[in-house]
Amino acid sequence: MKDLLVSEEGQVLYILLGAIALLVLMALAIVLFFYFSRKKIVKAELEKANLQIEHQREVIQANLITQEAERKRIAQDLHDAISSKLNIVSLNANMLTERNIASEETNKIAGDILKVTTTVLESSRQIAHDLLPPTLKNFGLEYALEELCDTLSDTKKFEVDYYSDYETNSLSETSELHLFRIAQELFSNAIKYSNATTVQLTLEKQEDIVSLRYVDNGRGFDLQKAKEAKGIGMSGIENRVAILNGSLEIETSVGTGMKLSVHVKLI
Amino acid sequence: MNEIFDVLIDITVYASVVCIILYLKGFVVNNKAFKFFTLYLLAVALVQICMRIHGHLTDSAPNLHFFVYYFVSEFILLSLFYKQLLGYKVIYVITGCVLGFIAAQYIIDQSMYYRYNPIGSSITRIIIVCYSLLYLYKSLSHGKEFLIVNVGVFIYFLSSVLIFASGNLVFDAKFSDVIAQVLLDMNGVLYLVFQLLIIVEWYRNYRKPVTTVINS
Repeated sequence: MKDLLVSEEGQVLYILLGAIALLVLMALAIVLFFYFSRKKIVKAELEKANLQIEHQREVIQANLITQEAERKRIAQDLHDAISSKLNIVSLNANMLTERNIASEETNKIAGDILKVTTTVLESSRQIAHDLLPPTLKNFGLEYALEELCDTLSDTKKFEVDYYSDYETNSLSETSELHLFRIAQELFSNAIKYSNATTVQLTLEKQEDIVSLRYVDNGRGFDLQKAKEAKGIGMSGIENRVAILNGSLEIETSVGTGMKLSVHVKLI
Repeated sequence: MNEIFDVLIDITVYASVVCIILYLKGFVVNNKAFKFFTLYLLAVALVQICMRIHGHLTDSAPNLHFFVYYFVSEFILLSLFYKQLLGYKVIYVITGCVLGFIAAQYIIDQSMYYRYNPIGSSITRIIIVCYSLLYLYKSLSHGKEFLIVNVGVFIYFLSSVLIFASGNLVFDAKFSDVIAQVLLDMNGVLYLVFQLLIIVEWYRNYRKPVTTVINS
């Protein structure tokens, strides 16, 4: 009887111990599973954060390059259009100070000075306009883009088609400036490289999204090669879209023209 | 062999006191979760010490009435602790329902107070295990607070569910004291592991006082 009891008790004991050991193992397995999963997730998040930092670094670098190029261009403009002409004015004014100068000569020099200062004034106005178009500040993006299209159309090289149903001030002033600069860059590229004959620009607002669409029938380009080359123009557009927190779609290949859309969400 | 386990169980009592001293040091400056956990440690240590004193004074007379205070206070304070960590208000509802159930058990059968309650203790433990599992899942994406303690809660409570559920075997006349002793020893070892993790948590995350950086 005692043996039976001991044997029954022993069995219960073994079953209990086995079950408890199993539970301990199970608990350990679950904890280890969570530990390794967490490690993996943290690693993935770290990689994502590093990628974002890398991207931001690239954006900053590209911005600096663009800024330097812009400074160079302004310096060149100032030198060519203002400084050199003011030198002429200075030279002529110097001649006027000479005592034995004939009245006719004086009139001619004064006329020259007037002509050159008029050109200098026009040039300085143009430089200021290029830096920040007054239309954009005073009348908004819709009209600034219209003016830009008119300027392109005036070159007689392009047939420009512009459509807009954008409500002024839907976007912030800064966002409008970024979209304007994108359009400016696209037009500049069109003049320099595209050989296009027609250009379409559309600015639309649908619900809470503002879209800027550009289409030309130029020679297009290899998008992959352009991305690898990282020209200032295209990366400038990409950076502005990134700053706007928008999305960018480019459709192009050699000989097929180019389609580009920028979508920005209203905040 | 029994002597070793006796020493280990004695250590758990001392470790309880050590845990309270360590955690009380940061009681005022730390958040609500920390406060509830410290109160839990205090409640468990008080029950442990009372049982010891009761054992010495009454020469091992039945002390099961202490067990009610133990598992009920443990359940309430750990539920409040996990409410702070998880943020789910439903924890209050679950705690209320379970406490209602346990109260009903003791109102219907008042002699229950002097008997072992495997259902009540098992339900409360399983719920705490569920909370700790949820917190393990939550800690995958965010939340680094009390991770080590949570691992300790999960391992100790899950493993000891069976010990507490089979507690009535101890009082079954059919079986000798061997099973009771083995169950008590197992629980002692698992609880000591839990206490070690509690101390590790304090050492790694709460040893240094909380400092506030003021930028001038």
